[in-house]
Amino acid sequence: MLFKKKTKPDSQLSDEELVTELQRQMDADRFGVLYDRYTAKVYQKCMGMTRDQELAKDLTHDIFLKAFVNLSKFDHRSKFSTWLYSVTYNYCLDHLRKKQRYRTTELKEETAIADGAEDRSEIELLSLRSDRLEPVLAALEAGDRAILLMRYQDELSVKEMAEILALSESAVKMRSLRARERALGMYQQLYHEEA
Amino acid sequence: MMENPFQIIRSTDQPPEHLRKEVMTSVKLVMLVMRFLQLFVADFSMSAFDKVRRVDPTTPAKGKGPTTETTP
Repeated sequence: MLFKKKTKPDSQLSDEELVTELQRQMDADRFGVLYDRYTAKVYQKCMGMTRDQELAKDLTHDIFLKAFVNLSKFDHRSKFSTWLYSVTYNYCLDHLRKKQRYRTTELKEETAIADGAEDRSEIELLSLRSDRLEPVLAALEAGDRAILLMRYQDELSVKEMAEILALSESAVKMRSLRARERALGMYQQLYHEEA
Repeated sequence: MMENPFQIIRSTDQPPEHLRKEVMTSVKLVMLVMRFLQLFVADFSMSAFDKVRRVDPTTPAKGKGPTTETTP
């Protein structure tokens, strides 16, 4: 067919409508609309995870390509933005884990969290000076950094994080607590004179 | 109330302009490869089914159509 009859311009379609159309027929221009909507967010997430412009650019490129190739797997159970967020975080994590020797010690997720431990470490973490937080985050393992950025920068709920990381909510809570503890430990290591 | 330090260090960088062109070029290349593969796979299965027919060994073959039977 030479001329396509479109009811709505692509720019006016919702994310989910665009994806439905793309699942029906691949179209680079239509995918370009999704790219324009999310490129800044994806790039900023990659920057937050890597603190490296060149790497963030490469990761953003690969994430959009991966999203395009895997669009058929998007099942519309979640929002497209959540799905893309999940692709972004998991791709960055995989990349960083390959790059740095990631400590693979598994956490005992069933360990009970001591009463008040969550709140205490959260208050301590959120009272850190912002200029010192960056070096602390940079020194953490990619997994811990991802958890902390999701929770305190993107302000995701435990439920959303569980969905993105494919974990149970209790596992997310435990990993968040461990990440906070390690961040506070790192802060003390880096700035021990004030600890 | 103290401001969340994670919000203060949030990246506000914008992706480089040329990244869009790079992504779109790669997307078009992927589409081309996928279409080529679809074409190949579709033709392969079409030709395979065209050439193969299940034959009941108890009844003699009729006509000259394609068959899996081998003749000595």
